[in-house]
Amino acid sequence: MTNATSPDTYKRLLEVKGLQTYFKTDAGIVKAVDGISFTLNKGETLGIVGESGSGKSVTNLSIMRLIPSPPGKIVGGEVLFEGKDILKLSESELRHLRGNDISMIFQDPMTSLNPFLRISTQMIETIRLHKTMSRKEALAKSIEMLKLVGIPAAEERIHSYPHQFSGGMRQRVMIAMALSCEAKILIADEPTTALDVTIQAQILELIQELSKKLDTAVILITHDLGVVAGMCDTVCVMYAGKIVEKAKTDDLYAKPSHPYTFGLIQSVPRLDKAHDGKLFSIEGQPPNVIDLPPCCPFHPRCHKAMDICRTKYPPTKDLGNGHEVSCWLFIDEKEHSHE
Amino acid sequence: MTKYIIRRLLGIIPTLLVIITISFFIIRVAPGGPFDGERALPEVVKRNIEAKYHMNDPLIVQYGRYMFDVLRGDLGPSYRYKDHDVNFYIFQSLPNSMILGAIAISLSIIFGITSGMLAAVKQNTWVDYLSMALAVVGISVPLFVIGPVLQYIFAMRLGWFPTSGWFRSGDGWKTIVLPALTLAFADFATIARLTRSSMLETLRSDYIRTAKAKGMKPSAIIFKHSMKGAMLPIVSYLGPAFAGIITGSVVVETVFRIPGLGRFFVQSSFNRDYTLIVGVVIVYSVILVIMNFLVDIVYSLLDPRITYK
Amino acid sequence: MNLFNKKSNKLQTTNEFNQVVVGNSLTKDAWRRLKKNKMAVISVIIVIVYILLATLAPILPIYPYDEIILDHQHLKPSFSKNAGELLMEKRLADIYTQAWRQGRMQVSEAEEEMLWAWIDSSNANKVWDYMFVVGSEQVAEGTYTLTAAEKRIIENLEKKLQTDLQITVKKVWYTNSETGKKENVARLPVEQVVEIYAEMVGASIASVSNQYEREIEQQLVKVIMAQNTGLTPEEYLLLYDKKLESMSEREHDKLIKENVFSKIVSYAKDIASQDLKTAATDASAEFPLDKEISILGSLSADVEATRKHDRQYYLGTDNQGRDMLSRIIYGGQVSIAIGFIGTITSVLIGIVLGSLAGYLGGKVDYFIMRIVDIMYGLPYMLLVIIAMAIFGRNILNLFFALAIISWLTISRMVRGQIMSLKNQEFIEAARSMGAPTWRIIFKHLVPNSLSVIIVFSTLRIPSFIMTESFLSYLGLGVQAPYASWGSLVGDAVGGMTLYPWKLFFPAATMTIFLFAMNFLGDGLRDAFDPQSKNQL
Ligand SMILES: Nc1ncnc2c1ncn2[C@@H]1O[C@H](COP(=O)(O)OP(=O)(O)O)[C@@H](O)[C@H]1O
Ligand SMILES: [Mg+2]
Repeated sequence: MTNATSPDTYKRLLEVKGLQTYFKTDAGIVKAVDGISFTLNKGETLGIVGESGSGKSVTNLSIMRLIPSPPGKIVGGEVLFEGKDILKLSESELRHLRGNDISMIFQDPMTSLNPFLRISTQMIETIRLHKTMSRKEALAKSIEMLKLVGIPAAEERIHSYPHQFSGGMRQRVMIAMALSCEAKILIADEPTTALDVTIQAQILELIQELSKKLDTAVILITHDLGVVAGMCDTVCVMYAGKIVEKAKTDDLYAKPSHPYTFGLIQSVPRLDKAHDGKLFSIEGQPPNVIDLPPCCPFHPRCHKAMDICRTKYPPTKDLGNGHEVSCWLFIDEKEHSHE
Repeated sequence: MTKYIIRRLLGIIPTLLVIITISFFIIRVAPGGPFDGERALPEVVKRNIEAKYHMNDPLIVQYGRYMFDVLRGDLGPSYRYKDHDVNFYIFQSLPNSMILGAIAISLSIIFGITSGMLAAVKQNTWVDYLSMALAVVGISVPLFVIGPVLQYIFAMRLGWFPTSGWFRSGDGWKTIVLPALTLAFADFATIARLTRSSMLETLRSDYIRTAKAKGMKPSAIIFKHSMKGAMLPIVSYLGPAFAGIITGSVVVETVFRIPGLGRFFVQSSFNRDYTLIVGVVIVYSVILVIMNFLVDIVYSLLDPRITYK
Repeated sequence: MNLFNKKSNKLQTTNEFNQVVVGNSLTKDAWRRLKKNKMAVISVIIVIVYILLATLAPILPIYPYDEIILDHQHLKPSFSKNAGELLMEKRLADIYTQAWRQGRMQVSEAEEEMLWAWIDSSNANKVWDYMFVVGSEQVAEGTYTLTAAEKRIIENLEKKLQTDLQITVKKVWYTNSETGKKENVARLPVEQVVEIYAEMVGASIASVSNQYEREIEQQLVKVIMAQNTGLTPEEYLLLYDKKLESMSEREHDKLIKENVFSKIVSYAKDIASQDLKTAATDASAEFPLDKEISILGSLSADVEATRKHDRQYYLGTDNQGRDMLSRIIYGGQVSIAIGFIGTITSVLIGIVLGSLAGYLGGKVDYFIMRIVDIMYGLPYMLLVIIAMAIFGRNILNLFFALAIISWLTISRMVRGQIMSLKNQEFIEAARSMGAPTWRIIFKHLVPNSLSVIIVFSTLRIPSFIMTESFLSYLGLGVQAPYASWGSLVGDAVGGMTLYPWKLFFPAATMTIFLFAMNFLGDGLRDAFDPQSKNQL
């Protein structure tokens, strides 16, 4: 926090260290996110992949401190944005950060826009929250943003209500709104899951194009490794609230190390590789993250599981070039006995 | 929009027809009515009624005539009073009931929404517990218990307000306080609970999360983003609320001896003065139907997703 | 709480991490959540207690709810003092207050002021209570001496309190002179009862029948007058004739038998009180006293005698000296029964119509839902009042009137549920296997919407009870001598400054029950549908 001026830290826009977010439920404590760390650099696109329920959304809501509390609580870790810990910000500092420095778009565009307010109202209010602009200027800026995301006849359509737009169009509006204050980080939480397949590619392309243009760093959450391959510089693979593997995208594809990542990559249909007409799939269900015993949560589904996997969570091992993996396969006996 | 209004207006017609038909048959065939012969009525009254209903005509002709009269606003002669017809008595007492009802519904809406909102925003604090406790009291304790209890405490023991009377000299507006509070209580309770739950639901919704992610202030989120959506269930509850006020006013007017339509209604149902009872019900139904219609219009104005097809 | 904690000894399933997997069925889950809700659990207990009290009322050791003892009018509730002591207290308070008002008893300046303040704010109860205490002290200290007249009054009362007996005639026996068999007079045919009565009073059958005809007429006219106020005497007679005409032979006979039998009973009572007079003054006599006495010739009676003023009224008495405790319990019986049975009836109507509309769709659906829409637009409470006015005020009519208007919401709900379930696979499967429509509805669709129906019904019961009591309060519902919570409150409102207990106890009893039902309903709803917390 003190050396915020050194060139290295300046490049690091966002640093998440040991973040833990738990939910208190009737059935027990849900460790939705349990000690994850990653770094996001300026202009970089980071992918977070994992099956549904693995804690991707909770991670990003924690970054924005949007976890519904109760039942949720961030119980540990740090989230450093440009060197400042977001988790320690006051309410008003936080409000200044949200939408201005970091903005979000959500999975379901049908419910994420307020159905009772016109698009214009919602966009203008966003801009005027963070910029000193008159209503008119803000309206002009909004129209400009809508044009940028490819809404036809933006001048007229800005005065419509959300229900008058299709799903894809609404997601475009969300993107326009998120980028209207020139945020430094855009968090996109499965932005295409709720959309038609044909629209999905367009939206992803739009995010990619705009982030390049506006020099915005992106955290892209998805359960689709195919999406990650095309867009992200770095990838984190999440399983049961933990990051099991983290690498540059190319490294990950070239050398998937964790059996889970391996399985994920195998299960993506690929055109460039011949296969025998059968898709690979990982057997079994992801675990319920309530009261997990201290073990590798993947071991029941892992075909390389060893005895140690059932009793202890593996430490993280650096395979070089920032490629990190948490799996007992990469820890040799000697290291292990030292622990 | 105009089309929608017209369509809704047309929808009122069957309800009114049913009311008038029921009324006609109550007057014609109810035991103890003038046509029954069981009951000996004063000569004048009898003649009035005979003249009015042309008792020798076929039933269908009588029905048609009755419907025409009601639509014209003529509710016929009373079975009991010979000096005036039903219209006279109704319009004598209706204003009192309207004043009471209007004040009560306003009180219940204002206090209900306020305490429901506070409870939702300050969920699980003493504000929440207090207003929900009050609401449970309002839902569980009948009006005819609340009324006498308020009378006992505020009129007899503390002497702040008169026990009964209606704008009698000297007391003025003070006479209206206790009855209006009593009448407002049940709807206040329902509105407060409804507001709280719908507000909580709205606050959990995705678009409120979006608003938070934009960096909006809590107050702006509540007033600008949540209010409208949270108010919709309240608006649709207003229809039943008006019906509740009408039913409640029957009790409250009896408890506080207010010369209103409700008290009149109870008295005439003891007297079996059918034309009067039926007249009161027709008036109440028309009020209710109009209110429901207005509520529908307001709802459609509030919710942009409603299309006027 | 053991009731809820039944543990099953089934084999426990474990997951891949060797953890026990808890079953996740909806009802089990709901049950678990309900048990956690303290208010709901307390409410269940309260409701069960109420229902037990109401159903066990006939065998509880309470006085009959319709037994009028005029001596005991408006006694206040007391756990320590019996009726006699309260009566004496009342009389003394009266004497002392009189003495003070007439200036024969002196009180201090400050007390004087206080007493007048109470009188000004019409707080008579306080004045009497205070004067009783002051007077008793002064008599004890000798600062006030009772006058001869006052002493006489007190002595008379004391004597009365000691000797008054409450005699209940349990059975009247007639010993047949030919067969020698003992027969219960209440069970004999009407002609024989009349004969026995004529023999008893030594009059001709004709004069006896003349007498009872006249009395029955008076009784009926009284009823008619209560139902139709403000008519001329001729009109009443006209109505009476109508009534007689419309009455069946059996009803008429029943009236005659009641009339004559009650006379026999009261005669038996007179004889018994003569007989037992000596026993009353005898200190060694044990009460209650059961005895068979012979009345006259072949007539004898089983009687029970208790000391009238030994009675204890824990919740006080009403304006006719009836025990409030027992009236509240019996009133609860009526209110709760109407609440439960009415809800069940209306829910059944609602289920049948709603599921027909939902399942069949098309014209049937349209027709039923139009009816519902139209009825929704009516001020239906007022229609119930009209129905009560037309068909007469009794419990059965009240019950039908309520049930008929209360099925609207439930039918809408069931319809909605069924419409959404209709297209699900298991229904398709049943249909493809050729199951008939009604069978699909009642075997598959209704059970699947049961949780919604249960929750709704629970919340419906208190509003049903409220509606019933609302009508009874207005005097349009349950009629005397029967009581319901509403009619008890209605009777009490008039004298609530002087006799607040008459208002307080029924109101509190009713309120507690309604509270419990509402909490239980809320708890059930939260348990079955945790998403919609506190939704209405
Ligand atoms: N409000 C909440 N209350 C309780 N548990 C929650 C809540 N939100 C999320 N969780 C739990 O956190 C875990 C991770 O959820 P999430 O981050 O939404 O997964 P995903 O990777 O699909 O985005 C899930 O097991 C979920 O049950
Ligand atoms: Mg998610």
